[in-house]
Amino acid sequence: MTSTIPKVRKSAPASDTPSRVRRGNGVMSSTGLYIATGVAALLFLIPFYILVRNALSTDAEITGETWKFFPTDIQWGNISELFGDETVPFAQSLWNSAVVATLHTVGVLLVCSLAGYGLARIPYKHANKVFYAVLGTLMVPTAVTFVPSFVLVSSLGWVDTYRGLIIPGLFSGFTCFLFRQYFLGFPKELEEAARMDGLGYWGAYWRVVVPNSLNFFAAMATITFIAGWNAFLWPLVIGQDPSSWTVQVALSSYMTNQTVVFHMIFMATAVSILPLVFVFLFLQRWLVQGIAQTGIKG
Amino acid sequence: MSALSNRNFDRRTALRAALGLAAAGGLAACGGNNGRGGGSGSGTNLVQMFHAYGEAGTEQAIKRYAKAYKEANVTTQWITSADFESKLFSALLTDNAPDLFEFHPQIQMVKSGQVADLTDIIDPVKDDFNPADIKSHTVDGKIYGVRMIDDPQFFFYRKSMLEKAKVDVPTTFDELMEAADKLTTGKVKGLYMGNDLHSVNDTLIWSSGAQHLDEKNQIAYHTDGVVEGLKKMRTLFTSGNLLLGAPTESWDPSSFNQGLCAIQFCGMWAMPAIQDALGDDWGVFPFPKVTDSGKASVYNGGWSMFVNAKGKNVDAAKEYVKWLWIDQKEYQEDWATSYGFHIPPRTSIAETATKLKSGNAAEGVRLFNEFGHFDNIGWTQAMRTAFEDVFANSVRKNMDPEKALDRCDTAVNRELKKLFG
Amino acid sequence: MSTTTKLDLASPATAKASSAKPRRGLRGSPTFTFWLFTGPFLIGLAIFVYAPILWSLWLSFFEARFTVTPDKFVGFDNYTYMLTNDDFVGSLGTFTVFAAFIVPTTWALSLGLALLVNRMRFMRAFFRSVFFLPTAVSYVAASLIWKMSIFSGVRFGLMNTVLGWFGVENIAWLIDPNPPWYWLVIVTARLWLQSGFYMILFIAALQNIPEELYEAAAIDGAKSGWQTFWHITLPQLRATSTAVILLLLVAAYQAFDEFFNLLSKTTWGRPPLMELYYKALGESQDYGAGSAGALILTVLICAVTLLQGKIMGFGRGDESK
Repeated sequence: MTSTIPKVRKSAPASDTPSRVRRGNGVMSSTGLYIATGVAALLFLIPFYILVRNALSTDAEITGETWKFFPTDIQWGNISELFGDETVPFAQSLWNSAVVATLHTVGVLLVCSLAGYGLARIPYKHANKVFYAVLGTLMVPTAVTFVPSFVLVSSLGWVDTYRGLIIPGLFSGFTCFLFRQYFLGFPKELEEAARMDGLGYWGAYWRVVVPNSLNFFAAMATITFIAGWNAFLWPLVIGQDPSSWTVQVALSSYMTNQTVVFHMIFMATAVSILPLVFVFLFLQRWLVQGIAQTGIKG
Repeated sequence: MSALSNRNFDRRTALRAALGLAAAGGLAACGGNNGRGGGSGSGTNLVQMFHAYGEAGTEQAIKRYAKAYKEANVTTQWITSADFESKLFSALLTDNAPDLFEFHPQIQMVKSGQVADLTDIIDPVKDDFNPADIKSHTVDGKIYGVRMIDDPQFFFYRKSMLEKAKVDVPTTFDELMEAADKLTTGKVKGLYMGNDLHSVNDTLIWSSGAQHLDEKNQIAYHTDGVVEGLKKMRTLFTSGNLLLGAPTESWDPSSFNQGLCAIQFCGMWAMPAIQDALGDDWGVFPFPKVTDSGKASVYNGGWSMFVNAKGKNVDAAKEYVKWLWIDQKEYQEDWATSYGFHIPPRTSIAETATKLKSGNAAEGVRLFNEFGHFDNIGWTQAMRTAFEDVFANSVRKNMDPEKALDRCDTAVNRELKKLFG
Repeated sequence: MSTTTKLDLASPATAKASSAKPRRGLRGSPTFTFWLFTGPFLIGLAIFVYAPILWSLWLSFFEARFTVTPDKFVGFDNYTYMLTNDDFVGSLGTFTVFAAFIVPTTWALSLGLALLVNRMRFMRAFFRSVFFLPTAVSYVAASLIWKMSIFSGVRFGLMNTVLGWFGVENIAWLIDPNPPWYWLVIVTARLWLQSGFYMILFIAALQNIPEELYEAAAIDGAKSGWQTFWHITLPQLRATSTAVILLLLVAAYQAFDEFFNLLSKTTWGRPPLMELYYKALGESQDYGAGSAGALILTVLICAVTLLQGKIMGFGRGDESK
């Protein structure tokens, strides 16, 4: 009887219970472990501290003769100054980045996961050749293709459009490669059961493979979203009009302006990072689980 | 199929479809947002590209002038300065290139047919322009750009600091080195010439009694004087008296205004900002002579308007350039003196610009006239980069100046051969 | 996890596929289905990746100055020019040394962090987040914090402030190449930005090591600690290490962003891409020579990757078990 497809792989979030804490006890005591990790964590947090300190200081304090660990008066007004700036449409650029990074992520996941599945699972005699053609693109530095890509996209009339910002970046050989590695390890029995039910590859993919791979999709989504949000050079040349700037381009406009205003630069940087911190804090529980299922592991 | 799985299936299909539609809809809806502006003007749309000037009000000014023009609808792209060249050059390769843009006169843009001949609009008022500004934009008798502003660059010094250290205004490079030494205290460095020192590349050549290229467009910078100058620069660089690693470059007066240095190399444009920060406690002097045969020099930089020869509206763009940068003297004076200080290239405007008549501004104008050197149109971006490498190699890194110049010669000769055969 | 998969590049995907026969004519044929799945991706790849690559290849045989539609064929001139250009060849050499340093360092740091975090009982998610967070920061933003605040050469830079407490003079970290402090700046920025991501890969791999291996080792009398690390953990991480090193190598040779922001206008510490940018692709607009140089770099990356694959046994994941 064709019953519901069993979910063998649970998409549960990463458990935070270490299962093997006893291993390696001989090297370091528990206290030592926490001290070492704590010191490392402090070092990793210093740049964030600097960023926030500078963002909420006045220029005079940032550049003063004596170092101030905390601003004497926290300058919350810097936030409204940033969003009130008429020359750089910062709020608009945040919105653009959100739209671009979201559509970029949805597009990449859709296109690359399908391709990765096709390459991993569907019998076709030239599949390996196609795979190597995809893999080869990883080796080519973007500088090789940058100018021709720009001319190409420009001749399509996509300058200053979301299309131009998003579509050329959807075809990531790297993401396709990761999906293929992942699908190679996907339990075959599951799909075969689904195909026995008459679903075909397409149906089996959507009804069995994807629902059982949500961890991995979430992991890929995190990485892709970060990359989309942080992309700089392409949005710089594509976004010619300030109304189509992404947040990275807006940020660079503060950095390279002829008159450097420190607190604005750092406030802009802090605000540009904040959304990613939230995205990551929400998605990170799936990240480890998801990556544990790729081919990239022991 | 069980009902349960059917429902799941349908919901998922619906969700996918919705996502797909939303994505497609979003893309389509935003496709029209191409920054070309609405069709409020009468017919022709022009796009102009500017680098971002640092002074407050500059962007609004450029847009205000554009709005006052009735014959076409002019949109402005205001590009931050570090990204300006890469953006301009990549845009010029495409159909989306701006119709007109500001840049410096460089011959490769003429030779490769990127900029249009503007002789017919400039010729009638040619005599009113600073002759040097005409010469630097002329190739084979044709004039390719309209100078908007001249920007002399020289040293700014803090009077009080020099007095306190009992230092006179330097007249030779050796005196400058000595002054830097005396002015350096615990928290203040004597001298700032930019982190990479490239702002003084050109003045070092002139003050050493040499020039970039000679009349026949052959290398003229590779002289004993320049080698001596580079060696002195190296001594200065390692002396500990230079401000290095400042967060702002030398075109920004922040380091000077914040009291990080006593003397800074900067440009005329910074005068209003410096006046605001330091009151009257500052003066200016030219880059002093490096060798006995040399003479003090000032780099007369600046910006010019060019018309994209491959654009769709060459004639309309030329009309706009003529209207704004030749006919509208009021705007030209506003542009040169209301924000940062610049020298108007038009003699008739320069004579009436009252803000440049007194104090340090007048002194700046004097230095411009007496010691100024203009761009050589044959000295291209690639050659500029090659000479920057000389500075990096022999001043910041300890390479023999002769060897660094030899390397530069190779690169420059390759360019010269391609440009002049 | 219920399954263990391998990084098996070499094993043909077709061989693994089931013997399902085409049952429903064309629509059901595997070939059709294959193209149905991969088609959208491959079409996009052809247009937006392969077409520009071929265009570059074509440009590299032309004198393409200030244009990307040149007509003057120059044969291998551009390649000769780039290969005889001291700076470009030098940057390839420098970056081989750089890669030889940064790749093992990043590998060791990410593995170290992963081992620490993996052993924690409490606050594990917290520390994992702290180490991963820099991944969310763009190169542009990180360069800015490094250049303008931490390693700024003036009195209010963090490093100079700290050194100042011990009476050390201000150091121009990024400006004066003697001594080459700029490597410290570059390396710390890169480690900060990158190690978190690779740490996650290692944590994922550590969780996949079967517990029984450690139990068996304990029965055999192996001491917990370095012994189990050398004999069990490290070998079990081999496939992950191989993949991480591959990614790091490619990233090292393609380095551009933070160098461009931190070391503009130097002649030292230039990665090959930056050398290309200054010599050809940027303001000089010599696209023929630039394309030639970029393709030389591509060939080099392929060669190094293949060599690394040969040494580390890329694709032989099964043997590490």
